[in-house]
Amino acid sequence: MTTGPELAYELATHTLGNGLQVCVQPDPQAPAVAVNLWYEVGSYDEQPGRSGFAHLFEHLMFQGSRDVASGEHMAGVEAVGGSVNATTSTDRTNYFETVPVGALELSLWLEANRMDSLAITQANFDAQVEVVKEEKRQRYDNQPYGDLFELLVAHHFDATHPYGHLPIGSMQDLDDAGLGDVQAFFDAWYRPSNARLVLSGNVAVDQAIELVERHFGSLPALPRPQHAEAPPALSAPMVTRVSRNVPHSLLYASWPTPPAAHVDQLALDIALAILTDGHTSRLHRALVRSRNVAEEVHSASLLHLRAGSVATLLARPADGVPTDAVAEALREELAAFTVTGPTEEELARARAQFERDWLLDLATVEARADMINDSWLTHGDPTRVNLRLAELAALTPEDVRRVVGQHLGPAPSELHYLAKESSR
Amino acid sequence: MNRPTVHLAQRWHFPTPELRTLPNGMRAQVFHLPGQHVAALELVLPTPLAAEPRGLEGVATVALTAIDEGTVAHPDGRISELLELQGASVHGVTLQTSTRLGTDAPAHRLPEVTTLFAEVLSSPAYTTDDVAHHVGLQVATHDSLEASPGAVAKRAFRSALFGRDAREGRPAAGTPETLAAIRRDDVVAWHQRHWIPDGATVILAGDLSSVDVDEVLAPIGAWPVGGTAAPRSAAPPLAPSVVIADMPDAVQATVQVGCLTPGRRHPHWAALKLAGHAITGAFASRLNLELRERLGYTYGVQGGFGARRSDGQFNAGSSFRTEVAADAVARILQGLELHAPFTELEVSDARAFLLGVAPLANETASDIARQASVLAAADEDPTFVNEHFERLEEPSAADVTAAFREHVRPDRVTIAVSGNASELEPALRAVGLDPVVLDSAG
Repeated sequence: MTTGPELAYELATHTLGNGLQVCVQPDPQAPAVAVNLWYEVGSYDEQPGRSGFAHLFEHLMFQGSRDVASGEHMAGVEAVGGSVNATTSTDRTNYFETVPVGALELSLWLEANRMDSLAITQANFDAQVEVVKEEKRQRYDNQPYGDLFELLVAHHFDATHPYGHLPIGSMQDLDDAGLGDVQAFFDAWYRPSNARLVLSGNVAVDQAIELVERHFGSLPALPRPQHAEAPPALSAPMVTRVSRNVPHSLLYASWPTPPAAHVDQLALDIALAILTDGHTSRLHRALVRSRNVAEEVHSASLLHLRAGSVATLLARPADGVPTDAVAEALREELAAFTVTGPTEEELARARAQFERDWLLDLATVEARADMINDSWLTHGDPTRVNLRLAELAALTPEDVRRVVGQHLGPAPSELHYLAKESSR
Repeated sequence: MNRPTVHLAQRWHFPTPELRTLPNGMRAQVFHLPGQHVAALELVLPTPLAAEPRGLEGVATVALTAIDEGTVAHPDGRISELLELQGASVHGVTLQTSTRLGTDAPAHRLPEVTTLFAEVLSSPAYTTDDVAHHVGLQVATHDSLEASPGAVAKRAFRSALFGRDAREGRPAAGTPETLAAIRRDDVVAWHQRHWIPDGATVILAGDLSSVDVDEVLAPIGAWPVGGTAAPRSAAPPLAPSVVIADMPDAVQATVQVGCLTPGRRHPHWAALKLAGHAITGAFASRLNLELRERLGYTYGVQGGFGARRSDGQFNAGSSFRTEVAADAVARILQGLELHAPFTELEVSDARAFLLGVAPLANETASDIARQASVLAAADEDPTFVNEHFERLEEPSAADVTAAFREHVRPDRVTIAVSGNASELEPALRAVGLDPVVLDSAG
């Protein structure tokens, strides 16, 4: 690895006869090996009435396979000093272990065993439905602002759109799911041709590929499953006002933006950083320091693979300032930014921050493997991780100005999330 | 294909720093980590929150969070812009017996970064507006935490364990009342009194092959001497109790169970760390397997033994749907009774995990610097990590069982629950506990 825009992680790809795609990133200095398996299935692919099933299924993948007892996958990896987990998003389900080199083969065997077979009992299924309902309560229903994300998504996608519900799903749909759905979901999506396996860490390319062939090579070749066509996202801006028992009112402005792979996403990412990252950012200086209409500003992007993504700006109004006034000030500042664009120095600062974060993320084998898989799914090319900083270096202030003008236009959707009077 | 056998390699060792004393008397630990091109620098001040005036609690936090808003030489955010241009990010935390300020930055830019960092330390501008803004942010954070069930349970736990007369029993960043009383002069006075080299340690970690370490540390070593560090002390815990922080709209009960225990230097510490992993730290821990995997009561149980400066704390925490929460608490207490002693397999799995996961937890320069700064804050040497690894090899299952039974007594733990008190109070009573519902000041 080098510093600066030239990154040169060695990346070797290989495809098994059954369609499983493998990428090996050897790193002889690393203390461990990261095994990162992405199945190309997420909440986007769920059937109506079965919201939350892709994520529930992720839990079930730890409930046993032909040669592995329920819970043994987690326990077995922990017992060799490894870390193990899984996550589900709209577009992929990610299973990962980071293990000492001597446990790499065990990790591959565990993943291959559950790619090949599942062994879920009714009792395990019932318990995991309850676990996922507790996860939903803990993360959403029992948190202040717990429905905010859902309201935000509803501004951009109809409830019937594949991106129109959250990966956690609904309590009703989780209750309605049955053991019969499990095998059908497994049969539809869990197969070598629908997976990408990244190994990053202290293993040689030849050895890694030989081990993967040994454990996954005998799995059957099945055609790559097709995903539904994405219907269009909603295009007309919406304004929603809700009143909740929360400590502070918040204003969310949001815009539809292109899919994750679109060339403008990097410039948008940098634009959002220039606008809101830290107390030196454009909007913090304008809305918090100069105009005193807000106490804090933040931004985020919700990236989607198959249809529009969403960019958001958040402002917490200053005491006594209505969210409408903040929304207006925000629109004015954005309009001004689309005329002037960032200064050379603003862009340089954002670039330096992005570069440090990018290198820091790549510094652990676990995160590096995940970033390689993300590049692979998003751009069809795992080696894009090596190009990111060069793409960043090529951005100009005009690029940043243009994408804000083009994508963060004068009429965003607005979510006015209002604190009830009594709550403070 | 048969299950592969696992061959575990040699034990990993925490790196050994080069130790220096800077011209102003500060200790420096320098970790040379080839390949770590994003370097980390951590400053550790031995400042106790107990030194805050009672009516101005939160002043230490505001002095920290407002410190990089501007300096005398580079006011109005310019200092932060200059740090950002160097690719540096600044972070910090105020804890009960230490304050830390750190930065991550490209290693080759360290000389410029530490010059700016030293300017932040030694000459913050603390304008009236910046202080007011950061007071406002802390009030908002306080209000957000008061609405968050996890934070409410933790706060109620500390309050029940230490009592509100002890600094540790009160919110670390103050309350809206104490925060509202903080003025610029108070922040400046706190900085002058407590942001001093005496007793402070600086930790530098990264690939330092492209820089001159003397040059990198020089600005920190030139931080002028002024005064001596305030003494630190620890409050004794109160008698165990069961408290409920009422959150009438909550759909879960968030539970914290725990007690103070011996710490790093106690002969039982390694045994306790093994026990903590086996009973509540691991996914395959006893409590997680029972409450999550078998009963589906929770998304997960977390906890274990954590070291404090001079002692330790056992903790088990989780969230449960309200209707099963009392049964869950009863089962946690039952589990802590350890009717079945730990098995050799449980202990060897815990040992393999704690030793095996160490290199993963210490992969970056930031990881190393953070671990070293936690130890420095406790007046511990970084060699403690490797000594601890050796001690983890020693205890038998019987030793681990005996240590846990001696230091965690289910009838002597403090229990805090945030949730709907009208349901939880009778339910906890029905399982034999005697809960007190806290008033809203928590």
